[in-house]
Amino acid sequence: MHIDAHLSKISRLERSRSRLDPSADFELWFWAAMQAGTHALNAALHHAGLSSESQAFAMQPGVYLVPQAEGTLVPQLLPPGDVLHLGRPRIEGELPADLKEMAHAMETIESYRDPCVREGKPATPEIAAECDAALQQCLSLLRRRLSEHA
Amino acid sequence: MKPHDHETCAARIERTMGKLGADDHELLIEGAMLAAAHRLNARMHRLGMTAVDEDLIHTYLLTINEYRRLSVADGESMKSLAAIEDLRPAFVRGDYPGGAEAAQHALQLLAVIRGRAQTSET
Repeated sequence: MHIDAHLSKISRLERSRSRLDPSADFELWFWAAMQAGTHALNAALHHAGLSSESQAFAMQPGVYLVPQAEGTLVPQLLPPGDVLHLGRPRIEGELPADLKEMAHAMETIESYRDPCVREGKPATPEIAAECDAALQQCLSLLRRRLSEHA
Repeated sequence: MKPHDHETCAARIERTMGKLGADDHELLIEGAMLAAAHRLNARMHRLGMTAVDEDLIHTYLLTINEYRRLSVADGESMKSLAAIEDLRPAFVRGDYPGGAEAAQHALQLLAVIRGRAQTSET
């Protein structure tokens, strides 16, 4: 997607997340944070010229759903645009320092995905705070990149 | 996880989904996917199709042989989970118009899976 569309998605997900309790609703509270962070990462990758901005929606690494003029969606094989997660698909080239920090923050968030959402490990307030801090770091790094390299 | 634990996880996610509105379509679709996977895992464990330490995460990560095998056991639920997953590129990761309607469809598909799973509870 385009950078503006990623920013709009981040706003929507953050609004949804604000309606949820980090403890009682951890699974979807967490999932919104993870998705918002992934949109931030994609916006930063596009901005750095490491992946393509286009109106194409990631299905699986290398395959994107592309809207057609007649209103349909068609899967197409395309070079890297939006990543599903860092490394899917792999991005060629050296990541700038701020993107490495964002990637590290996303790894922190994603480390809790399977244990706490799929495997029933209780999410403590400390885990929620760590995930929230990692997301805020991601969003802050994106804002700084967009303002300093406008 | 054991079937009962999957059901507890699914019920938690479904409770959270009740706090969301139609304009939260991304999280409704994601919640439907996560809850549906828990419900389907509970069903497959109860049917003896999968071991409690062999949970399905996404239908598209299964081998074709395994997808076919589980579809023989409950094709309707497998098809329904795959259909929820197919909504994600356009409406969760993407901003294609019609997200609210897609979320309603995801909720209907989750209800199908939940209904079938509850018939296999003991």
